Amino acid sequence: MIKHRIAQALLLCAPLLCVQPASALDFNNLLKQMNGSDNSSSNKSDAINAGINALKSAAEANRTIGPEEEKTIGDGLAANLLGGRPLVPNQPLQHYVNLVGRWVADQSELPKLDWRFGVTNDNDVNSFSTPGGAILITKGLLLKLRDEAELACILGHEITHTLKHHHTRAIQAAKGKDAFGQALQGVVAYKGGGAKQQLGANAIKGLAEVQVRGLDKKDEFEADVNGMVLCARAGYNPYALVGVLQTLDALNPQDGTVALMFATHPTPTERLTKIDEIVGDKLDSYSQGIEETARFDAIVGKMEKAAK
Amino acid sequence: MNVLTIHKLKWPSVLALGLASALALAESGTVIRNADLKEKPFLDATSTGKVAAGAQVNIVGRQGSWMQVQAGPSAGWIKLLNVRTGTAAASSSSGIGTLANVVTTGSSGTTVTTGVKGLSKEDIQTAVPNYKEVEKLSTFAVSEQDAAKSAKQVKLVAVEVADIALPTSSSSNSNSGGSGGNNVDDMRRRRP
Repeated sequence: MIKHRIAQALLLCAPLLCVQPASALDFNNLLKQMNGSDNSSSNKSDAINAGINALKSAAEANRTIGPEEEKTIGDGLAANLLGGRPLVPNQPLQHYVNLVGRWVADQSELPKLDWRFGVTNDNDVNSFSTPGGAILITKGLLLKLRDEAELACILGHEITHTLKHHHTRAIQAAKGKDAFGQALQGVVAYKGGGAKQQLGANAIKGLAEVQVRGLDKKDEFEADVNGMVLCARAGYNPYALVGVLQTLDALNPQDGTVALMFATHPTPTERLTKIDEIVGDKLDSYSQGIEETARFDAIVGKMEKAAK
Repeated sequence: MNVLTIHKLKWPSVLALGLASALALAESGTVIRNADLKEKPFLDATSTGKVAAGAQVNIVGRQGSWMQVQAGPSAGWIKLLNVRTGTAAASSSSGIGTLANVVTTGSSGTTVTTGVKGLSKEDIQTAVPNYKEVEKLSTFAVSEQDAAKSAKQVKLVAVEVADIALPTSSSSNSNSGGSGGNNVDDMRRRRP
């Protein structure tokens, strides 16, 4: 029975997964290398199991790209962002952001994803999502927030990009069908080190283009609207997102600290107008949700005071 | 000025607190549609006055989907989404907004680069991928159970909320003048 289902899964998605039909993409080998960064002695059956799992989940999701592949690519993108600006070396802060982020993500349709949240040591105002569940927010944005509800809503926005595969789609749209196969090979090559490392780095750069150019406007509006819904589901006041966008709207667009965010997103005014049109009063009955928390004040509030 | 405003309002202590934070942040905004000022942040609260589209307001505070504002001699609550805080909108007319803009954004119109330069497009293109940092990020991950336990401590309760669908096929008319789609019409109806 189980065997039969696996065989069915293999049959179902083998053609889908071969994003590079004519190439020498060795899927099992690829997954084996993905399991351990460079230890080629990794257990063969583990690798095969991982392969089967990936195929099964891809079949379940009925998509061409499975969760394992998305995570490999997403972590490559996260590695690139963190190569630019590392995490703030503050364990209680990082733990706190994970408590909030995970709680919000758990109200979504994918609570089992490998959700990880981090604050980067960057004074600019921005936040990033990657396929597979790594979400980053800059210290600069964090220090502009009034309360935990605002943090929850921003994380809800980024979580939505991951849930709806916005980056995955953008990469495919920009790079064509073969993009993911090539990118996977690239990321694996990079992690393997050696002669192919530069090739791998180039593949990651190719993907990171989506973070330089930004997503489709519609995807941003969807992330705002669904981010508010997730925020409300988690028990927060969803209109806290409006507060964040008003903070951003009040910033001088010429200010260097918002350059990347403003270049990759619709203007805050546009986003507020969309929220006004699409959400309006629809979430009013949840607007009495939590805004301030003692844990926010103890960690972020303290940092905000120190920064003044 | 504080004393004067406090006399106008019925909740002096709340306002005094609000004013303190408003002065610290010096937030201002522009009203985008005619609205009633409410005495309290509820639709059925009594009206204390009116604000017209284009009016400048000082933002005193926020609560739920409401914003507490000071508009000239009048004060009260209006819906958050009735106010825009953009510098473009605020700088188009003089008055209250101007001072606040200087306070929040420094010298307007010039590039402000304070402190450490943030992640730029160039950085993304030239960064060396750092997998050690990704491993570190993964060590900070928390379990569903831990997140739920901590949420409970701050009185967060998960609630059911229906999805909100984005209007379909609104592809190219992103200029939201409010002329078109049925969804927009539907939303416009909700406010007086």
